[in-house]
Amino acid sequence: MRKILMASALIALPLTAFAAPAEDVAEARKGFYKLLGIEMDGLVSMVKGETEYSAEKAQGHAADIKTLTQYNMGDIYAPGTSNADLPGKTRALPAIWEDGAGVQEKGMAFVKAVENLNAVAVDGKDELAKAVQQLGGACKACHDDYRAKDF
Amino acid sequence: MSSPSTETSRLETVRLWDPLLRIYHWLLAFCVIAAWGLGKFGPDVMTLHFYFGYAVLGLLAFRLVWGFIGPEHARFGNFAYGPFAILRYGVGMFRRRPSYWRGHNPLGGAFVFIILGVLLAQAVTGLFADPEDYINVGPLAEYAGSDGARQALAWHDLLGWWVLGLTALHIAAIGFYRRWKNEDLIRPMLTGVKTVRKEA
Repeated sequence: MRKILMASALIALPLTAFAAPAEDVAEARKGFYKLLGIEMDGLVSMVKGETEYSAEKAQGHAADIKTLTQYNMGDIYAPGTSNADLPGKTRALPAIWEDGAGVQEKGMAFVKAVENLNAVAVDGKDELAKAVQQLGGACKACHDDYRAKDF
Repeated sequence: MSSPSTETSRLETVRLWDPLLRIYHWLLAFCVIAAWGLGKFGPDVMTLHFYFGYAVLGLLAFRLVWGFIGPEHARFGNFAYGPFAILRYGVGMFRRRPSYWRGHNPLGGAFVFIILGVLLAQAVTGLFADPEDYINVGPLAEYAGSDGARQALAWHDLLGWWVLGLTALHIAAIGFYRRWKNEDLIRPMLTGVKTVRKEA
């Protein structure tokens, strides 16, 4: 009996170590959106005319954002990492974990906007501007419902 | 208690609110409601919300100037009362008769300062707010830094509910004067003309 307990403790220990600490999850999640953000910044500065439009650069940013959408978000949205669990560390509202259908719908709108962005990024500044607006709208939709305004 | 006839003899109908103040009031009401509605229910690209916010700022700037150089009843000094005067008016306001007040009464005057302050704070925090959607960034957000822009956004969100509450209170007060005190305050704000107590 004692041997079994010891053995199960040895097995259980690495298993618990697999789940990342909640704070790390929140950090990684913010990092994910930071990556998204710098690609968006590159696009927006072209749309605003702060930097000159370049089809090549626009396509590069669009492709990077598309790469990010291929990342499985499950790990960085592990349960127990809302702003109720980690006050001051994240602005992710518990609604994210309570409203799966809503998150799914807005996530799909985001993916669609990224696909559209990739399709038109090389078609000139005006087309890019429209695609960036659509993508920004997808950002806004989630921020409105699933992100606290402040920590 | 005076008889109705002597009461009437103590009253006069005068031009109270000047035309610019009235135009300002209704433009402000329209712009605030439009900005609020667009903020909550408008399209993702909030350009119109921004424009109405700028319009509110412009109207508030006019009000500030008018509060110092405008006609008597538009001036801040005309309706800035102390706490005891406000309290006395607040206690007496539940009598079922018109106030016949010349200008903003003490409580209403205090309300004017509060709502102007909240609207100003709301418009200014909007300038610095960054919702990080890359399409609706406040025009001055870059000067606030990312922490400042986030705090501005949080205040802008909270103050939006204050604006709603104060506007509802304002409309409720107008309804209270109409129903309970039998005094129409809307018509004077349209025509400028109000029946008031004669000055001693």
